[in-house]
Amino acid sequence: MKILLEPILVSIVAGLFILVIPKRFRKVIEFFSLITSVYLFVAGIKIFFAAPINIGYFYVDGLSRFIVPAIGLFGMLVTLYSMRSMASYKDISSYYAYILWTIGSSILAAISNNIIVLLISWGFLGFTLYALINISGPKAAAVSKKTFIIIGGSDSLMILGFGMMWLLTKSLNLSDMRIDIAAPTAFWSFLLVAAGAFAKAGAMPFHTWIPETAKEAPISVTAFLPASLDKLLGIYLLARLALNVFILNSFTYAILMVIGSVTILAAVMMALIQHDFKKLLGYHAVSQVGYMVLGIGTGNPIGIAGGLFHMLNHAIYKCCLFLSAGNVEYKTKTSELDNLGGLSKIMPITFLTTLIASAAISGVPPFNGFFSKWMIYQGLIEKGKSGGVLWIICLAAAMFGSGLTLASFIKLIHAIFLGQRADGKENSKKDEVSWQMWLPVSILAILCVIFGIFAYQIPLKFFIKPALGSEVLFTGEWHTLKATLLLFAGLATGLIIYFLGNFKSIRMSDPYIGGEPVGKDMRLSGTEFYNTIKEYGLLGVIYKKAEAGFFDIYEQGKALVFGVGGFFQYLHNGVLPTYLVWTLLGMMGLFLFFLK
Amino acid sequence: MKAIDIIPLFVIIPLAAAFLTSLAGRFIRRSSEVIIFIASLALLGFSVYARFLLNSAPGRILVYKIGGWVPPFGICMVIDGLSVFMLVTVNLIAFFVAVYSLSYMNQYTDKPKFFTLFSLMVCGMNGVIVTGDLFNLFVFLEIASIASYALVAFGTEAEELEASFKYAIMGSVASAFIFIGIAFLYSFTSTLNMADMARILAYKQNVWVIPFVGVLFLMGFGLKSALVPFHAWLPDAHPSAPAPISAMLSGILIKTLGVYSLIRIFFNIIGSTHGYLTILMFLGVASMLVAVVLALSQWDLKRLLAYHSISQIGYVVLGIGLGTPLGVLGGLFHLFNHSVFKSLLFLNSGSVDYAAGTRDLKETGGLGKLMPVTAKTNLIASMAIAGIPPFNGFFSKAIIIIACLEKGFTGYAICAVIGSILTLASFMKVQKFVFLGEIKDKLKNIKEVPFAMLFSVVCLAIICVLGGLMLLPSLRFFLDDAVAVILRGTSYAGVVLEAASK
Repeated sequence: MKILLEPILVSIVAGLFILVIPKRFRKVIEFFSLITSVYLFVAGIKIFFAAPINIGYFYVDGLSRFIVPAIGLFGMLVTLYSMRSMASYKDISSYYAYILWTIGSSILAAISNNIIVLLISWGFLGFTLYALINISGPKAAAVSKKTFIIIGGSDSLMILGFGMMWLLTKSLNLSDMRIDIAAPTAFWSFLLVAAGAFAKAGAMPFHTWIPETAKEAPISVTAFLPASLDKLLGIYLLARLALNVFILNSFTYAILMVIGSVTILAAVMMALIQHDFKKLLGYHAVSQVGYMVLGIGTGNPIGIAGGLFHMLNHAIYKCCLFLSAGNVEYKTKTSELDNLGGLSKIMPITFLTTLIASAAISGVPPFNGFFSKWMIYQGLIEKGKSGGVLWIICLAAAMFGSGLTLASFIKLIHAIFLGQRADGKENSKKDEVSWQMWLPVSILAILCVIFGIFAYQIPLKFFIKPALGSEVLFTGEWHTLKATLLLFAGLATGLIIYFLGNFKSIRMSDPYIGGEPVGKDMRLSGTEFYNTIKEYGLLGVIYKKAEAGFFDIYEQGKALVFGVGGFFQYLHNGVLPTYLVWTLLGMMGLFLFFLK
Repeated sequence: MKAIDIIPLFVIIPLAAAFLTSLAGRFIRRSSEVIIFIASLALLGFSVYARFLLNSAPGRILVYKIGGWVPPFGICMVIDGLSVFMLVTVNLIAFFVAVYSLSYMNQYTDKPKFFTLFSLMVCGMNGVIVTGDLFNLFVFLEIASIASYALVAFGTEAEELEASFKYAIMGSVASAFIFIGIAFLYSFTSTLNMADMARILAYKQNVWVIPFVGVLFLMGFGLKSALVPFHAWLPDAHPSAPAPISAMLSGILIKTLGVYSLIRIFFNIIGSTHGYLTILMFLGVASMLVAVVLALSQWDLKRLLAYHSISQIGYVVLGIGLGTPLGVLGGLFHLFNHSVFKSLLFLNSGSVDYAAGTRDLKETGGLGKLMPVTAKTNLIASMAIAGIPPFNGFFSKAIIIIACLEKGFTGYAICAVIGSILTLASFMKVQKFVFLGEIKDKLKNIKEVPFAMLFSVVCLAIICVLGGLMLLPSLRFFLDDAVAVILRGTSYAGVVLEAASK
């Protein structure tokens, strides 16, 4: 009990303490936050190694156990990163207070068994997200509003769903619930609670806040909440529902698979055409959720294990990508792909981490993203053994989505790190960010590699299999170490050929077209890659509608509410006799009701 | 002096304060402020004291017989769990509003007059709550109403006078119907004592008088509590009043005159039949949805808040209309919470008006940097009204939603959720257009409001943050006693008469 409550109380008290420290002691605030976040990480590890706990309000089993240290890790890295990246912000004390509270309530959400406690911590996370987005100033106001309406609104749906679950089981503890989804109430309660999980994780149709938040919020916040913690918690809750609480039927699994596939494809198609790298990464943060939902939607151990592993991997590489993007933005003060280029020599560490994380998200072996996607594919094939055609479509969508992901990251890497510099300067002096900023991304990039190469030995063995509680049977063969060695052997062979060959006799010269050197206006920035996709008949129409917000549940809801509101306003014309007439009509209605 | 003798003080103190402020205020500068501060603090202290007094009272009820006459012959004052719950709510808000007014009302010319009307309003509300006599209730209701008509017009601009006129007309219509209802009941039972009336009604059967009177009361008190379709006066009246009075009107007046009287009469005197509960729930849900949709399209900050008062009263009435222990608990808890956060919101709107000179959402923006305390307290109140944990509004809304599900009203539960989402949306709008966003050029030099105003809003914000703790088992008695009174229904008669006969 103490081991669970202590980190949560510490985070609350530390947050309050930071608010009390005068703002001019900036260093003290930063240092104190860092210490607290390190403590929370250590506490998370302690919870991970503790014996399973089931004491009413709290429940720590294989599934919730590995989430906790992950939350602590991201919290610590982001706090370290913020020490430099948030240097230009004035209101630093509330920023760190909210970060610490976020870590604390995320841990609480992961370990809570009581649905009321879960709802409180879950809802509070939405609030801290809102507050953290607003740290970035006036221009974030519209985005934070939209984000919190979607997140907070889905939390209200969760209240309804949890209420139904309580009625069905007469219990407030998730561990006591075992609900057969056949009954309509059970089905709706699952969908309502899942809606909360989807909104947090960013699956369709509640995804529209993520790309916009990614664009406007401080990048450390995007890396922390939408990219890592919200994914961890949202998918954790979905997995908890699917594994322990509900007994799902094939129809529900099919819904999950369809949501997953549509999310993968639609979001990656939008990512292809983005001009702003933060928004591009934001759309990928949506697209990848599709894989996790798809994995859980297969309903077989390998698929669910793949979904959970992908969740963990995604948190790692997406956090890495956002923070690396933050490094680029910190140095160049822009997030427009058009204005970037040729940074690979100037920021080598950031280039390398971005490259690794991009390879991981695109599913390039031997990185971690490949392994979890491969598990999800196997889950789908396993599902196919029981017949039906849905699995083929989903498998095709997942693989195609993976290809498009790679395509859009080629665009990203090219536009930021390769190609010519936007300012036309030839100067390529190394100008890397300070250690507070490159250390976190390097740690995450190394994790991407380790989780890929030693997938069986570390993450699957310690995190995923205990979470599932059952043995994961692989139908396909993939020996990570051998494959990696082979890959490196191939690369080495290529290098040997390159060095042995007559590369010294190659003549280097500036690029030219038609005998003329390529000027600044002829620069190929990479932004235009895939732009033609917008011109293909039906796709073009869909893109136009999508950019106008036609598929946005928020915009549609807004239009509906204002339509109804307009009618009501027309009725409120401010004339006293009208109002008196309503009163009398209301009274007549009451008379009819009571005296009939 | 016996402990029970504090009961009439709830009427005497504000009545005396009303006279003293207008008398002394004429001659001694600032004396009205001192009087009002002491009076409201004393009232708050006495209501908390009454709460603890009740814990040791037999049957958890205190009856004070005016002039020693035993009911039904004399008028009595009754304090039970529900009354004391309302007393604490009313006097808590009244105290903070009074403190706020000390600075805020400097903008207006005649402070003593304002405090006189303010005290009269408090006197009326306290009277409605403690009285055990139906006609007495009507008298106090009129005192509070008439004071509020005058207060709405306090600014004496054209708009305020028009709003006050509308409010007065509609309020008088409601009072008239309530009065007719009381007259019918009197002719039917030959008594005006509430407990005695309940006793007689319990065995006297009649086919039409009770439902007929029920409709009159539903309309009359429904208008006082601004339930749709009797709500139309509120969006004009509440924004026109000075901000502290808006806080009083939305925070407690509509609840005391409307909801409390409704509960007292329908649950404790007439008896809550299935029909009344159905209508209450229906009116609650209608108010909840219609008003929140209207609120979303408002651009005047106070008007937006006024529509939310209608909507939130809908939650309260829905919860109480369920008639189950959980529903009534949720409804009452929401009543308390709404008093706190809505008065806080109105006081904040007053601060914005005080500092920026406008409350048009299109003209404000970015005030969060210039008025940090107001912005933070407003954020807390917005989260509370939108039902975001861990603030107090979350708990009461969640209880109401779950209570709806428990009784099988899934449709109403869904409506409550939709209302909650739209409330959140509209307060996100307030946050965006008032406290976030870009600062407008002409508002660049505004300052945070004075200490007295900040003191009130900060205290109320702290209650919003910690309000959820009232559900802890050791603090539940405050709510539980009130719930018990409502669920006891018409057996209220026996309890009061027995306590009075001692």
